[in-house]
Amino acid sequence: MSSTPSKQEPCPPRRVRFARGVALGLPIFLGYLPVGAAFGVVARGLGFSVVQAAACSATALAGAGQLIALTLIESGAAVLAVVVTTAVVNLRYVLFGAAMSAHVTGVPLPGQAFLAFTLTDETFAVNIDDHRRGLADAWSMAGVGVIAWTGWVLGTTAGALAAGWIGDPTRYGVQFAMPAMFTALLVAQAEDRRHVATAVLAATLAVACMLLLPDPWYLIAAPMLAATIATVMHR
Amino acid sequence: MSANAIWLVIAGMAITNFVIRFPSLAVLSRARLPEWLRRWLSFIPVSAMATLVVAGVARPDGAWLGPTENPYLWAALGTGLVYWRTRSFLGATLGGVVMFLALRALLG
Repeated sequence: MSSTPSKQEPCPPRRVRFARGVALGLPIFLGYLPVGAAFGVVARGLGFSVVQAAACSATALAGAGQLIALTLIESGAAVLAVVVTTAVVNLRYVLFGAAMSAHVTGVPLPGQAFLAFTLTDETFAVNIDDHRRGLADAWSMAGVGVIAWTGWVLGTTAGALAAGWIGDPTRYGVQFAMPAMFTALLVAQAEDRRHVATAVLAATLAVACMLLLPDPWYLIAAPMLAATIATVMHR
Repeated sequence: MSANAIWLVIAGMAITNFVIRFPSLAVLSRARLPEWLRRWLSFIPVSAMATLVVAGVARPDGAWLGPTENPYLWAALGTGLVYWRTRSFLGATLGGVVMFLALRALLG
């Protein structure tokens, strides 16, 4: 929808749109640095080499999923169990991909593959918000993705290299960096009464699902249930 | 876990992460979605973020924390307030972590 520029204004060059995305994603970059570093530190403590920690972040780009993988490795889980559990944790990206699909209709397949690869909770929320303002396009989304990826990989590498020196990363409150980003992004999504009501509904359902379902399933069950109820109520 | 097993985990996570993210985006971008599905998808971002906040705040590190012993909860309220007033993603995140550190020191 917003990927086609308006007739009156000349379309800014790709470079400019990409740079706008990079600027938009800068807060994600700064947020990912410490959380990535925390991942690097903990991964080193569990036997990852620096290269392995960096490779994991560079190829998976899955904040919470990666941290949960470490918790599982620490508890002695087998390779398959780690991979399957993180896959369930990341199942919400199926929904995110679906929600993004309407905004990437004109993008060629390799571009879509790249945008899908850089799809995280934060890039998703920032891009959706940018679309709502009618500003986002494929190049700005690529900029958001590149800067987010860079922050995550850079943070991980730095954390892995300086693991001995950093010590326990929770001393610096990094465990709240992700919840803080999610909270800001949640407020950004709550644009009108309907969305505020849906957020409250989803939060309530999240608690119920966490109590009732085996572990990471609430991550996909609660949003799906909340969206279904919201769709039925606001028809 | 051995170095080889770690490489297997890394490869497995890399593959599953991409397989999870890519098909829904690529396939649905080529389809004409019915109105109800588009509406349903429009509620996904806010619902997913609310779920992530609740999970990170009510049960950090896998254990439920009540309001009187939970720096996450109060720091999240503060973070939300900062974002709402300033619309600064960075300011809210940094302010949130500072609030968290203060509250953690306070609540023990």
